[in-house]
Amino acid sequence: MKSVLLATTLLTFGLGSAAMATTKAEVLTFYADIAQATYSDSLAAARTLQTAVQTLVSDPTGANLQAARAAWIAAREPYQQSEVFRFGNPIVDDWEGKVNSWPLDEGLIDYVDAAYGGPTDENDFAVLNVIANPSFALSGKTIDAELITPELLADTLHEADGIEANVATGYHAIEFLLWGQDLNGHGTGAGERPATDFARNETCTGGNCDRRAQYLMAATELLVRDLEWMAAQWRDGGQGRNAVTADEDAGIVAMLTGMGSLSYGELAGERMRLGLMLNDPEEEQDCFSDNTHNSHYFDGLGIRNVYLGSYTRPDGSVLSGASLADLVTETDPALDAEMQARLSQTMQALGAIKSEAEAGFAYDQMLERGNEKGEKLIMGGVNALVDQAKTIERVVTVLGLDNIAFEGSESLDNPDAVFQ
Amino acid sequence: MTRALLSLLLVLLPLRAVAGLPEIVRATVQQHVLVRVDGFAAAAADLAAVSASTCDPEDSGLREAYHTAFDAWIAMSHLRFGPTEVADRAFAIAFWPDSRGATPKALAALIAGDDAALTDPRAFRDVSVAARGLYALEYLLFDDALRQQGKDTTRCALMRAITYDVAANGAAIAADWHDDYAAKLIDPGADGPYQSDEEAAQELFKALGSGLQFTADARLGRPMGTFEKPRPNRAESRRSGRSLRNVTLSLTAARDLAEDLAAENRELVARLVSAFDAALMAARRLDDPTLANVMTPQGRIRVEALQTQVNKIRAIVAEDLGPQLGVAAGFNALDGD
Repeated sequence: MKSVLLATTLLTFGLGSAAMATTKAEVLTFYADIAQATYSDSLAAARTLQTAVQTLVSDPTGANLQAARAAWIAAREPYQQSEVFRFGNPIVDDWEGKVNSWPLDEGLIDYVDAAYGGPTDENDFAVLNVIANPSFALSGKTIDAELITPELLADTLHEADGIEANVATGYHAIEFLLWGQDLNGHGTGAGERPATDFARNETCTGGNCDRRAQYLMAATELLVRDLEWMAAQWRDGGQGRNAVTADEDAGIVAMLTGMGSLSYGELAGERMRLGLMLNDPEEEQDCFSDNTHNSHYFDGLGIRNVYLGSYTRPDGSVLSGASLADLVTETDPALDAEMQARLSQTMQALGAIKSEAEAGFAYDQMLERGNEKGEKLIMGGVNALVDQAKTIERVVTVLGLDNIAFEGSESLDNPDAVFQ
Repeated sequence: MTRALLSLLLVLLPLRAVAGLPEIVRATVQQHVLVRVDGFAAAAADLAAVSASTCDPEDSGLREAYHTAFDAWIAMSHLRFGPTEVADRAFAIAFWPDSRGATPKALAALIAGDDAALTDPRAFRDVSVAARGLYALEYLLFDDALRQQGKDTTRCALMRAITYDVAANGAAIAADWHDDYAAKLIDPGADGPYQSDEEAAQELFKALGSGLQFTADARLGRPMGTFEKPRPNRAESRRSGRSLRNVTLSLTAARDLAEDLAAENRELVARLVSAFDAALMAARRLDDPTLANVMTPQGRIRVEALQTQVNKIRAIVAEDLGPQLGVAAGFNALDGD
């Protein structure tokens, strides 16, 4: 027994010694490799979505609408895993609003239910409905929206009037066009937009079907273009790759910042705990499609990918290489074990939400007031993410990322930007 | 579309332990934290008692009790960890900013439905945080539209449910601090939330940093909006005319905490105090209780000047106080959108 233990200890030590060969430069290069692969996969999935959307628009049958919805859900898988790159990398953070803004006042885009209400204190354009209005006034100017183009969406309509909830582009605008509003409240079921909303003859429902089709095509085209741009930033010589590899300590801090900020402030706070506290069925990120359980799950997986230096692509192939785990093991194996345990706990908790949702207990039902089982599930995820962030802070300490000049804090450099 | 990035940046000198760290933590908990949580618990209990005796939104005693409780909350609103985060207590006391306009909507729904939770304190704890706490109470006391909705008796019941709930949360926070949370910070250990004196000090340091960030970005930044489009309606508790008062009180509380944490270094204390004094002076000169003057270019520039003063304090805290304590900025709840 003793000799087995000894052998195990030696083996562990041996592996630890091998890991000592890992350099920060290798870890950063592989981090950029995972980013490149994740964005390339997101791009490929968006192109598949675009093909499905084209089929839907040319032949708006129920089956083609279902196919487009399935392509959208598949496209979320790699994209959500890329969110871990957002907070540590300004190049991603500055761009992210084009593709993944949420929550949105969807009345900006298309018809909504009467219960949605009208313009709000916060947003004069909450019910603009550009699909029904080829011309409208915006901040004192008349806007010609006769043709709905990618440029109109990106340059004029997106964040119109400086309001973030005016989301005209990205995954959630497309999601709204494919599903429509989820009017089931805390009940089961997602949005139920009929395929005839895209019919270009007398069977058209919801009015302005040709403009709705134009909008959907333009938004999908824009998503593909934006992802093309981001995937290119992580190739050799790309800005994203150059930025993280230029200064090793700053690069490692960027990795950990992305992991910690997504875990704590964003996912645990803004996206999970807030919705639960408000008991609002629309406080779920993929509220039209009822796909929120997957979005949270793949966010969590992306965080783990970065720490372990391992990414499983949609085709099942695995990329793995030099990782933060190697660096931490070298300095403090116990902390690496703690970090890995916390990441596993998070995936278990997010996995529980996912499997319950897939079994029919939808995320918006979990948010309902007094729903103890739902609260327990969601808080399980929140608590695991908060614990995980605490351990990430310990990793920062143990890696001794000292002597880094204080720079790049947007909240200090550009306070106006923070709450806009 | 931006957020507090890289708040984690500045990191410590792990080997340079500060000699008096345990003493700094102990003194800060006793002189700064416990005084404030006790003060809020008492003021919230008083508010509930006054509310039980009158439902008249114009009653001067009720309004005074509201302001006293709000003052006490702002004085501790930066202490967002441990007991305040259990069962969403702090969110239930203070749900703001409300960028979705959830508070008036949730209140209107409760009033229209004559919700059974209004007369059942236990059930009221499950109500959306948007309809609970001091910011919801502000609507019932000061918002003309809300004050006309539904029946008097319904609004009265809602007001009592809110003040009772706030008092219960205030009492629970104070009780947890006294029962064991103070000890967890003062005597950190492997089985508690803080494994070392450095981690305990880091929690207090993060509270200072995120409290200042909230004042700069939310209390001042939200009404400032952009130069082209200021947003005076987004000012915190503008309906009760408390927007600037909250800024002043939060800075005063932050100064007290900063002095406690920097205690060992007199030169740093002097620099912090002088930066706080400059900001408090700028706040006094504003003479604009609801920050409504952001609508004019001149008015907005003055609010921006105050925000710049607060950001100068934040820079000293991050660049000098953090290294002095030997702790990193870490993550906070304001990271993200």
